[in-house]
Amino acid sequence: MAEHELTLPMSREAVELLNAGDSVYLSGEIFATAGMPTHDRLLKCLDGKEELPFDFTGGALFHLGSLIEESPDGQMRIRYMNPTTSTRFNGFMPRIIPGLGLRFTGGKGGLDAACAKTMRACGCVYLSFLGGGAPIITSAIRKIVAVGWPEMISHYRVVKLEVERLGPLVVGIDAKGQSIYDSTRDAANARRASIIEQMRIEREA
Amino acid sequence: MSITDEMIRQATADLYSWALRKVPDDTKAAMAAAMETETSETARKTLAMQLRSAEMAEDKNTFVCSDSGVPVYFVKIGTRAPISGDLKKSIRAGYEILVDTIDPPLLQHVTNPLTLERSYHGKDMPIVSYDLESDAEYVEITCSPKALGSGRWASLELFTFPSLEEIETYVLDVAIKAGAQHCPPVIIGVGIGGTFDSCASLAKKQTLRTIGSVNEHPELAAMEERLTKAVNSLGFGPMGTGGDTTALAVHVDFSSGHGFTPVAVCFNCWINRRTRARLWGDGRIERME
Repeated sequence: MAEHELTLPMSREAVELLNAGDSVYLSGEIFATAGMPTHDRLLKCLDGKEELPFDFTGGALFHLGSLIEESPDGQMRIRYMNPTTSTRFNGFMPRIIPGLGLRFTGGKGGLDAACAKTMRACGCVYLSFLGGGAPIITSAIRKIVAVGWPEMISHYRVVKLEVERLGPLVVGIDAKGQSIYDSTRDAANARRASIIEQMRIEREA
Repeated sequence: MSITDEMIRQATADLYSWALRKVPDDTKAAMAAAMETETSETARKTLAMQLRSAEMAEDKNTFVCSDSGVPVYFVKIGTRAPISGDLKKSIRAGYEILVDTIDPPLLQHVTNPLTLERSYHGKDMPIVSYDLESDAEYVEITCSPKALGSGRWASLELFTFPSLEEIETYVLDVAIKAGAQHCPPVIIGVGIGGTFDSCASLAKKQTLRTIGSVNEHPELAAMEERLTKAVNSLGFGPMGTGGDTTALAVHVDFSSGHGFTPVAVCFNCWINRRTRARLWGDGRIERME
C-alpha cells in the first residue's frame, strides 16, 4: 500500500489519486468535532437557520473529540484529541459532505455505503484514525486556529487546527467509493457459514 | 487498624486515573505476540502504532484515549475485612475527587439518557457492584471504565435449551455485527446461563480476566479456543482495516440456570481498561494491576 505526505487544502483531482488502504500523513488546517448535537446544528446551518461557524469548502472535517483548556490569559490549548465512532453520523454525512463541500472526513469505524456513495459523487475521502491514539494524534497539533461554537461542551465544539504530519492515517473509503469497511464486512459475511462448519468439526473432534 | 474512608476514596480515584493511562501488561504482550503472526502489513503497522500510543501515554503520564468512559467499579468485600469506612459513600466521594483533581481533566461523558445532557455526574454514578469474598481480610476494588466505542456493541439473547452450536453461532454473529466498531483487537467476554441480569455480569467479568489464563472448565477452555479462532477468521483486523487480529481473547463463563438460557457477549477495546487494588486493615493500598 502506498504512503502519502499530504498538505491541505487539496483538489478533487489530487484526492481521487488516493486508494483505500493507503497510508496518509496530513499537514495543514483541519476541523474537528465529536458532537451529535454539533451535527444537528450543522444541518440547521445548511437549512439556512443559522450561520456556519467556518467556511469548510474543500476542507477536512474529522470526528475527533478534544479537551480544550483555556488559560487565565485566554490562550487555548488542546490537552488531548482522539477519534470517535463515525458510524454514529451515518445519517448526517450524506448531507454534510456535499453541503459543506468536504474533501476529507474521518474518525474511527468508517461510514456506511450511502455515505461512500456520496463521497464518490463529491470527491471526498474517509481517513481512519487510531482509536486510543490520543498521544500520537495530539502530538501532531501545532496550534488552535479558531474555536467554533465555544458555548458547547469541549468535544462538541468545532475546532480549527493546524497540524503537522498527522498520522499515519489509513484511507478507509476512497473517492472512487471503495470502502474497506464494506469489503471487510462482506468478506466476514461470506466466511460465516464455513467458520460455523469449522467450529462444528472442532467441537466434534 | 482498619480500612478507612480516606483509603477507599484514594483507591477509587487512583484506580480510574491509572486505567486511563496504562494498557495492562498482558494486553500489550498479546498484541506484541499477534504482530509476529499477523499476515496483513496494514494490521502489523496498526498494532505497532497501538503499542506506541500505549508507551507514549505512560511516558507522558496522559490518557491513551479521549473517551474516559463512565465510571464502573466492582467491589469484593472480604468477610473478615476490618472496615471502618462507609464503602458506598466513600466510593462516590472518591469519584468526585477524581473529577475535580485529575490532570488532564476528563471530558463530560456521563449522559442523562432521557435528555442526552452530558456532565460528570448523574443518577447512579459511579456504577458500582458489590460482592463478598469469604474469609478474605481485604476489600478489593476493580475499575473498568466503559466508553462508547466498545460499550455500544454488547448484546444478550435468551434461548431455550440451546445447543453449543447455537451458543457459539450467536457469539460469532454478535462479533460480525460489531465488526470493527469497538476498536479491535478486543477482549470478548461471554456469559452463558443464569438469569438475564447475572448472565450480563458473567460476561462483563470475563473481559476482566487475564489474557492467557486458562479456563478451569475444559469444555469452556476448548470453546474459548474455537471462538477466538472463529472471530479472528472474520478478517476485520486492528481498527477494522483488515487482518487476522480482531480478538486478543474470548473468555467464557457459565452459571446453572433454568431451561431458558441467556447468552451475553461484551467487548473491551484494545486499551482493555482494567485496574485493581486491595485495601488492607494495616492501611496498605496494594495495586494488583
